Amino acid sequence: MTRPESFRPDDPRVAVASPDEPLLTRAELREIEAAEAANLPAVIEPAQKKSRFWGKLFWSAAGGLVSLALGLAVANLVQSLFSYAPWLGWFALALTALAGLALFVIAMRELFAIFRLEKIERIQKRAVEVLVSDDRDEGKAVVSDMLSLARTMPRLAKGRAAMEGYASDIIDGADYVRLAERELLTPLDAEARQLVSSAAKRVSLVTAISPRAAVDLLFVLFNTLFLIRKLATLYGGRPGVLGMFRLARHVISHLALTGGMAVGDSIVQQVLGHGLAAKLSARLGEGVLNGLLTARLGIAAIEVTRPLPFAALPRPKLSDLAGNLLPAKKD
Amino acid sequence: MAFDDILEEARLASRALADYGSGLVRPQLRLGVTGLSRSGKTIFITALIHALLHGTRLPVFEALTSGRIARVRLSPQPDAAIPRFEYEKHLRDLAGLRQWPESTRAISEIRIEIEYQTKRGRERTLTLDIVDYPGEWLLDLLLLDNTYEEWSAEAIALSRQGPRAVLANQWHIHLKSLDPKAKADEQHAINAAKLFTEYLIACRDERFAMNLLPPGRFLMPGDLAGSPAVTFAPLDLPRGESAPSGSLWEMMASRYEAYRARVVRPFFREHFARLDRQIVLADVLSAINSGPEALSDLEATLTSIAACFNTGRRTILSSIFKPRADKILFAATKADHLHHLQHDRLENILSRMVKRAAARSELAGAKTDAIAIAAVRATREAVVTRGAEKLPAIVGAPLSGERIGDETFDGSKETAIFPGALPELVEGENMSWKFRGLAAGSHDESDFRFLKFRPPLVDAPTGGEPALPHIRLDRALQFLIGDRLE
Repeated sequence: MTRPESFRPDDPRVAVASPDEPLLTRAELREIEAAEAANLPAVIEPAQKKSRFWGKLFWSAAGGLVSLALGLAVANLVQSLFSYAPWLGWFALALTALAGLALFVIAMRELFAIFRLEKIERIQKRAVEVLVSDDRDEGKAVVSDMLSLARTMPRLAKGRAAMEGYASDIIDGADYVRLAERELLTPLDAEARQLVSSAAKRVSLVTAISPRAAVDLLFVLFNTLFLIRKLATLYGGRPGVLGMFRLARHVISHLALTGGMAVGDSIVQQVLGHGLAAKLSARLGEGVLNGLLTARLGIAAIEVTRPLPFAALPRPKLSDLAGNLLPAKKD
Repeated sequence: MAFDDILEEARLASRALADYGSGLVRPQLRLGVTGLSRSGKTIFITALIHALLHGTRLPVFEALTSGRIARVRLSPQPDAAIPRFEYEKHLRDLAGLRQWPESTRAISEIRIEIEYQTKRGRERTLTLDIVDYPGEWLLDLLLLDNTYEEWSAEAIALSRQGPRAVLANQWHIHLKSLDPKAKADEQHAINAAKLFTEYLIACRDERFAMNLLPPGRFLMPGDLAGSPAVTFAPLDLPRGESAPSGSLWEMMASRYEAYRARVVRPFFREHFARLDRQIVLADVLSAINSGPEALSDLEATLTSIAACFNTGRRTILSSIFKPRADKILFAATKADHLHHLQHDRLENILSRMVKRAAARSELAGAKTDAIAIAAVRATREAVVTRGAEKLPAIVGAPLSGERIGDETFDGSKETAIFPGALPELVEGENMSWKFRGLAAGSHDESDFRFLKFRPPLVDAPTGGEPALPHIRLDRALQFLIGDRLE
């Protein structure tokens, strides 16, 4: 055990932190911890998921075959063009190269978009853990990731500056995450609500007046995808095409998970609202129902795309977002 | 005796009813700042008022950060007979003269009005009443439910344990010479009370840092000094007998009863029975400074004091007739004597100490939390590189006369100090870790040295009030009054 000791502050071995400097984290004092780390509990690996080896093998092999066929077709085309006229061949080759470059760039962007989405999901998961464990270092790491995400959002400049100003205060993990949520996500949440609410209104209106069921089906589909994409962009996700698939899947599964729990808020209201509206007119009733469903999906999308869980700020409620859809409140 | 208790309950209930009536007109919150002597109550209250009045940096205190608090002001207190808490004087001592306030000698009170808007936008005013009192008096609560005979037996048994036995030697000798059944003699009573008081005062020395020392008025008599109510002492009584009339025993017992009726019960009735929120301040670091005995003594004291609180979930009936504290915060004060990387360990030690008290309150429906705070932060942080290891240290100006190793400080020089590394307590292990404190040996042999520092040098921004630095004062505020401002 190291004995208590005193040092002069002008001793070259003493590094005094200035009051505005961020506090150092445990990582910077690894050496001290390393000495005590000998008796740490062993880390238990999470159980491996059941592997889907054969399915994966099939899809990879089939994908490889398709790529080969495409490559072969292009190569044949270029070759036959060369046999017609050499300049035509060169032109085709140049086009192929351009297409290849563009494909590469698109693929990279998709990849980055997916990484970004994954990063957001990771931040959210870690934030949930910090809210429970109140671990100071982990909280700091989550918030600094969140800040690096916020760097691309100009409207968060003020909140970001405020958060950076708190770096020298001693704040515990859970409080720090809550503080970041209040400082950074308040303006975004307001806009997200606006987006969901107007999408719900749009859907209910179009359903009510559209002549064919197929039209409103298509409209609802596009509107929903558009909404998810906008929410993801708002919270810093910027998903590409693949990212959208992934997001849509998560939103739907989240909706399935939480749908049953929101009994007090939604079911009664939906049934009552629908019943009332249906009494007035069948089309109108359908419109209200579709609007309510869109609003619910919007809430699920907010919960999936938001980088921090709802802890300090209120979770949006169906009645806030879709309240104006019900005929009773319409006039 | 039973009639007394019923009368007392009736008094409590009528008082609560009156409070409830006035609370309907304007919402009130009575914050109990509980703590033993030298645990930092006065400083906590001063820093809390200062931070609220001037809106200084409190990031975690949501109502203030989000701008919902419009105005905070001090207002006249409700009780005309109690002195006002000398906020201005204490602040001048702290920020201007850089001295800690003197220990509190009498009770005082202050009222703060917070004008705020609820989250839904309604304009409200919350009245916050805070009471400051000598921490010694808190020990009296332990006498609430004990008769003279029980208290005597307990006090004598306690004085024969550990380091107390040596300190109580003089009093023990005198105690042996007394016959409880002999005729009452005022001189004997005065001598016994004097020796008993001397033993209690000796236990409080920094080297031993004992806290479980009732009755409190012996240590801080206030205006009672010399009166019969504080001229009694425990006697070695035979079991299962009753006091013969006219004996020393009977005299002592009647004085003890007078003390309970005149001192303990009014204090409990006026200040403890009607609290809405409680913060319990404990100076854990001083106890660690002294050694394992002081630490377990502090644990016992905290547990028995917490047993006196009315805690539990608030219901309409309870808030009308028997107010309960529905939130209790246990705080290890003076966390600035330690680098912040060690705060978690300090919090662990504290929550281990108050485990039983917290469990009892939570069972009744109250919320509890244990944190490390420094209402006024007197140090900065530093890292000392010594060979291959890096020591997390703190930098501040130790009070004059403080010692570490062979160095004695004069109160002006800034020094970087490594106070020792607190152990990581593993869940399930018992509390007793072996270390050496001041009670066991000399200054340079102990494993921990938490020195006292002078208050920080604060520079006032031009025209503004100086901001007192703090550690987790905002978290404490959020826990204690945050939900009432929503």
